[in-house]
Amino acid sequence: MIPVRSYIRILRQYLRPLRGRVALLTTMALVGIGLQLAAPQLIRAFLDGAAAGWETSRLVPLAIWFIAIAVLQQAAKVTATYLSVDVGWSAANDLRADLAEHVLHLDMGFHKTHTPGTLIERIDGDVTSLSNFFSSFTIQVIGNLILILGILVLLWLENLLVGVGVTVFVGLILAGMVKVQAIAVPRWKAVRARSAELMGFIGEQLGGTEDIKANGGDRFMIARFTRILRQWLPEQVRGRHGFSMLWAMGIATYISGVAVVFWLGSMLFNDGVMTLGSVYLVFHYVQMTHDPMEEIRAQMEDFQKAGAGIARVEELLQRRSRIVDAGSTLLPAGPLEVTFENVTFSYGDEAGDGRPVLEDLDLHLPAGRVLGVLGRSGSGKSTLARLLTRLYDPQSGTIKLDGVALPAVPIESLRHRVAMVTQDVQLFGAGIRDNLTFFDHSVDDQRLLDVIGELGLTPWLETLDRGLDSRLEASGSGLSAGQAQLLAFTRVFLRNPGLVILDEASSRLDPATEEMIERAVGRLLEGRTGIIIAHRLATIERADDILILEDGRIVEAGDRKQLADDPGSRLSHLLATGMEEVLA
Amino acid sequence: MSDRAAPTGRLMLGAMRFAPWRYLANIILWTTIWVLPVIPALIVQRFFDSLELETGANVATLIAAIVAYGIGRIVIMVTGMHNDILFEFRSGSLLRRNMLERIYEMPAAQAVQGSPGEMISRFREDVDHVQETISWTVDMAGAITFGAVAVWILTGIDGGLTLAVFVPLLVMVVIAERLGGRIKRYRREAQEATGRITEAVGEMFGAVQSIKVAGAERSMVANLRRLNDGRRRAMVRDKVLTAGLESVFWNMISIGTGLILLVGAASLAADNRLTVGEFALFVYFLGFVADTGYFVGIFIARFKQATVSYARMIKLLRGAPPTRLVHKVDLGLTGPEAPVLISPRAASDQLERLEVRSLTYRYPGTDNGIADIDLDLPRGNFTVITGRIGAGKTTLLRALLGLVVAESGEIRWNGRLIEDPAAWMVPPHAAYTPQVPSLFSMSLRENLQLGRADNDEEIMAAIRAAALDRDLAEMPDGLDTLVGPRGMRLSGGQVQRTAAARMLLRRPELLVFDDLSSALDVETEQILWSRLLDEQAGATALVVSHRRPALQRADQVIVMEHGRIAARGTFAELRVGSDEFNALWVGQGG
Repeated sequence: MIPVRSYIRILRQYLRPLRGRVALLTTMALVGIGLQLAAPQLIRAFLDGAAAGWETSRLVPLAIWFIAIAVLQQAAKVTATYLSVDVGWSAANDLRADLAEHVLHLDMGFHKTHTPGTLIERIDGDVTSLSNFFSSFTIQVIGNLILILGILVLLWLENLLVGVGVTVFVGLILAGMVKVQAIAVPRWKAVRARSAELMGFIGEQLGGTEDIKANGGDRFMIARFTRILRQWLPEQVRGRHGFSMLWAMGIATYISGVAVVFWLGSMLFNDGVMTLGSVYLVFHYVQMTHDPMEEIRAQMEDFQKAGAGIARVEELLQRRSRIVDAGSTLLPAGPLEVTFENVTFSYGDEAGDGRPVLEDLDLHLPAGRVLGVLGRSGSGKSTLARLLTRLYDPQSGTIKLDGVALPAVPIESLRHRVAMVTQDVQLFGAGIRDNLTFFDHSVDDQRLLDVIGELGLTPWLETLDRGLDSRLEASGSGLSAGQAQLLAFTRVFLRNPGLVILDEASSRLDPATEEMIERAVGRLLEGRTGIIIAHRLATIERADDILILEDGRIVEAGDRKQLADDPGSRLSHLLATGMEEVLA
Repeated sequence: MSDRAAPTGRLMLGAMRFAPWRYLANIILWTTIWVLPVIPALIVQRFFDSLELETGANVATLIAAIVAYGIGRIVIMVTGMHNDILFEFRSGSLLRRNMLERIYEMPAAQAVQGSPGEMISRFREDVDHVQETISWTVDMAGAITFGAVAVWILTGIDGGLTLAVFVPLLVMVVIAERLGGRIKRYRREAQEATGRITEAVGEMFGAVQSIKVAGAERSMVANLRRLNDGRRRAMVRDKVLTAGLESVFWNMISIGTGLILLVGAASLAADNRLTVGEFALFVYFLGFVADTGYFVGIFIARFKQATVSYARMIKLLRGAPPTRLVHKVDLGLTGPEAPVLISPRAASDQLERLEVRSLTYRYPGTDNGIADIDLDLPRGNFTVITGRIGAGKTTLLRALLGLVVAESGEIRWNGRLIEDPAAWMVPPHAAYTPQVPSLFSMSLRENLQLGRADNDEEIMAAIRAAALDRDLAEMPDGLDTLVGPRGMRLSGGQVQRTAAARMLLRRPELLVFDDLSSALDVETEQILWSRLLDEQAGATALVVSHRRPALQRADQVIVMEHGRIAARGTFAELRVGSDEFNALWVGQGG
């Protein structure tokens, strides 16, 4: 299936803003076509003139005109190419940015099943093949179709029989091309999908070399690589044969064109209807349909790639986030009150392996208080944070902030007011400034420096040659875990959230650095509601209330001091077993 | 890194030698495909001559001849395509395979430099590019052969005219050659711009959760738009120059035709007037001459672009000779799948004593790292390394395991000097769980086995020892649960314990783990330590940790400070004797 509708829809949407350049491009292309059509007429005049015994002085101007037209046509073509590439990339760039934005907004369930490597292939690979489509398809395919049409009109005017013959010939060839194209596209799609899989695999390898090497898994990974290649090879072969079919069409075109001219030309010449120059003219024009068809054929390859790409882009664009952003109520300033009412949630995908991670959870945290959440890993602690930031929505029950149900709040405003820090600090290969502001250039440097100072990172910043412009690596190399963690805090400090969720924020640090972070946390929680999801008792010292989760249910909740004083409580049990970690 | 030109010719030759028969078949098939069009040229000439000179050639015969030609050409072309993809796939896979193998040859913590996106583009665009260029060398051979045949036929008709046809072609080739340098530069800029976008997109989706939580989607996309624009400018320059050259070649037909007309007009007075058939032959060949010129020019340009791609791939090799890229290896594309070999355990390798002397490593260009580390681990010993961030704890483990190459110092296994720690300190001798472990998008079982053939009982034992059994019980698909890309479907603690189980499954002589319990809660951590140490009794372990359960169980605690060992002893000894150790504890005690 050719997704013609998708082609047209996307073409229209993304070319509209480039109307001016598209108009110029069209003009240039048409001028080029006109010149191309005119040139053979000069040859006929020359050949017939020569046969009629014209003087050299009459023939030479014809030859010079012919060359002049060729040069002009060349200029028109280069200009058109410039315009078409520019238009193509501009349109594809818009699409790429829109697609990236769309995918960024998709739910985490989607992202958990799609590697960044795969998404690179979708958003960059597929869209880039579309940029060819935007530029080349419009200029080459449509331009060449017009050229063929022009040739047919001229042949009809030349001789009715020739016109009919060549039109039938062109029609048959084009019909064949469409058919072959339909066979070839799915093959290309398979090749590209496997390529995405391979690149996803390689991307993962590059991130896990230490794990693989030190556990003796390198041979296994090479074997896996081989297995993907083994699956890819037959798909590549099938894809290539799709291309062969198109080329075979091109050859058939040429052959049948020549045969048509031989037959009609010899007949009409012998009947005295056509001069030798006219027979040559017909031959030349039929020859001229060959190149545009070849070009259309060549573009078909891009067209196929783009077709496969467009199908996947459409598929991606039509995917809707399971998190619906339709709220309009804004959250008030200041600390936020948190309420969970009968909240049940499972990560179950469409397959529905849905064991609830949280079950019937009720929770009330008054504004300005700090809640410490304890529980085994997997008990649902981190899920609380993911629900509060609407990375996921619960299957049933309601979560409210200051009495407003979360879906009633626009997501952007919600995430502005609810900040979350996880232990896994994700960085970009960019300057410190961009890492802190997420490339938002409207944040001024003084503000950044103030916040960095408040967190005690100034001495570190001063050791760097280029200050805020110093480059960080996405892998976080050159940065200690503590520094990365403090950078994540800086990101939060830059906003002014009413609720701060620290998910395992102080793990993986040595105690001295941890102390520095504890101070920063203290500052961050001032005048805000806080939820600290902790694995260790030291980190919840500052909590007002305590919540202990087990298998998605609350097994204990209440005021920290009261629970600690109650010898029968789980908290005091935990304190008794775990507090040994903290020296008296 | 030097930007030395890559030995493009040598590397291409290496790729051809990798599948020599396929390459040879390619040359024969594609040269034939290139030269075949001579046949219809002669047929067309006969046709026009039959009309003009009334030579009486039979039009039906000519039509039959041309149809036969078409069928033959299609058959040869399809065969050529089939052979070409098999060749291209093999030579491209060889490059990818060798790059991947090289990454595993290098010290693992130093193997990958640059962003994942940029690295991936070497596996993707650069390989594709080079592959295409190699496959085009065959077309070069065809083009040259065709050119020779065409010149021979045309000079037979009119030498002067032939000169007029071929001179512009030569001029074009020279122009392409001159512009080649610029194409190379433009192409490199365009590739760099593409690399930046691939990188930005990769990072964007690697950090998708942070971006969402920060509500920063819009500014991230705005950044992508900026990068997009940079690439558009680079691409326009690159494509317009290339297209300009192409356009010149295509228009050679027209200019050449004009030249033939001019010469023809001038030669009218003479007796040896061109026939229309000869004129058609000349014009026909012009088309193919343009093709040839186009190919030669583009090939020269492509060849230069391939040099850029090779240079980028060589950079990834980090010091290995460039020919490493085309090192012959069995790709295993056909025949039965080869089993993964697991090195057997030799009794003599059983660890009795591990000694480390004066181990030193500094990160390039910095003073950070470790220096003069001495360490003794008798069999069954449980050693804990502790210290502040940046004290060199992880670096010590990495140097010991050969994940970075130590500058000096020695490691002895039962008194035997280990020359290549990276090769020795792997299962069954040692296994490792890094601080932030990586899992891979496969099933839990495959993640644990990484090619081993352990049965479910053995796997379950390792899972229990790593305190992952309760989590496993809750996974609906059990060991077949897919962990998602980089293990994203599991929680941080689950990833750590899965990695621990992966290590334990190998039953290594030496267990090495870096801050294993950092993402665990108190209770799980307690379970983990007791199972690890009590049930795996006799295991020798080297562990980075700050936690009391670990420190108190330790036979010896090593306190690191600024890359050196500041103190060593048991927990009780250090409490009395080490200020640094106490400083750490006061920090935690708050």
